[in-house]
Amino acid sequence: MKTLKDMLGEARQVVPEEGPAEVARRLAAGEKVVVIDVRDPDEYRDGHLEAASNISRGFLEFRVGTAVSDPSTPVVLYCQTGLRSMLAAKALKDLGYSTVINLQGGYQKWVQSGMPTVRDVPMTQDQIQRYSRHFLLPQVGDKGQRKLLRSKVLLIGAGGLGSPTAFYLAAAGVGTLGLMDGDTVDITNLQRQILHTTADVGKPKVESAARTLKALNPDVNIVALPTRITVDNVMDIIKDYDLVVDGSDNFETRYLVNDACFLAGKTNVHGSIFQFEGMATVFAPNQGPCYRCLYPTPPPPGLVPS
Amino acid sequence: MKLVLGIGEPLIGRLLTYDALGMRFREVRLRRDPKCPLCGTSPTITDLSVHRNGTGACDVSATDGHREGVAVGVSPKAGG
Repeated sequence: MKTLKDMLGEARQVVPEEGPAEVARRLAAGEKVVVIDVRDPDEYRDGHLEAASNISRGFLEFRVGTAVSDPSTPVVLYCQTGLRSMLAAKALKDLGYSTVINLQGGYQKWVQSGMPTVRDVPMTQDQIQRYSRHFLLPQVGDKGQRKLLRSKVLLIGAGGLGSPTAFYLAAAGVGTLGLMDGDTVDITNLQRQILHTTADVGKPKVESAARTLKALNPDVNIVALPTRITVDNVMDIIKDYDLVVDGSDNFETRYLVNDACFLAGKTNVHGSIFQFEGMATVFAPNQGPCYRCLYPTPPPPGLVPS
Repeated sequence: MKLVLGIGEPLIGRLLTYDALGMRFREVRLRRDPKCPLCGTSPTITDLSVHRNGTGACDVSATDGHREGVAVGVSPKAGG
């Protein structure tokens, strides 16, 4: 009869281990790895890796298919100290998952290494109802909704592009929305800038935007920044956000946002419009081109109406 | 939202254009420019000091006017 020690020994033959730093590096690099916390739900709720889904050991073989659709996708498993997940990883290897990695030392070592964790607070009854349609989407679900609620998005410009963007992100429950715009509402804005109302004419755009968004979803923390983005404030502002959405209306700001996002390692979602034409792309530092790759120099003044 | 959730395929390296009058979407593949002064192989922009000369944004000293990068035929749009 095999002892526990024999079983762990066998598992170690086929399951490589990686420490917290290596796993953190994979996640930071945006690698397509699936992280599964195999502890019990109460342990998971008390604190877990942000990237992790919870499938407790007892259900792993039954439910892994929903979390990992392609058996060649690398999977990182962890438990509290790295033993339960070692046996769990062996089970996944036996099921044909080609790359299964055990987080060495488990959650305990992850915490001791000073790596970030998140803790799930129970959703309120209102939130459960408000986001119920998200829970029905397998790609969002409870875990995705919590990610949205924890996320922080900065919108540069609360005008034609910033308005619908902010509206939808707030509705979806993005937890913190930074709104940056130094302008006041003009009556000529109202035909398209749907965050603002007739009564808001003359008021700062971020003020009317904050009121509209708060009314739509009180869950959302609105950070109103009634100022233009400048070389002096940009780095300090973007550092607090996970993602930047550039809905600005001039080239100077676009190059500034592009450069600052690249230097700070922030993804920049870019949109622009002219009359009936629009364009959109995403500039992700070191994963794809930046705005300067697309437009190395700005158009001469007068060529493109601003 | 997809970027926050880490799902689907974001528009990294792709430019999606929309012509509302003709009701057409077009996708242009974008490549990194190895000569990009910011994210290229030997960058000349390593901080924001280029934005401090009053002309802001960019290398307006370039004498060849506006050059379009890899997305040939897609002109920049000014409006936000």
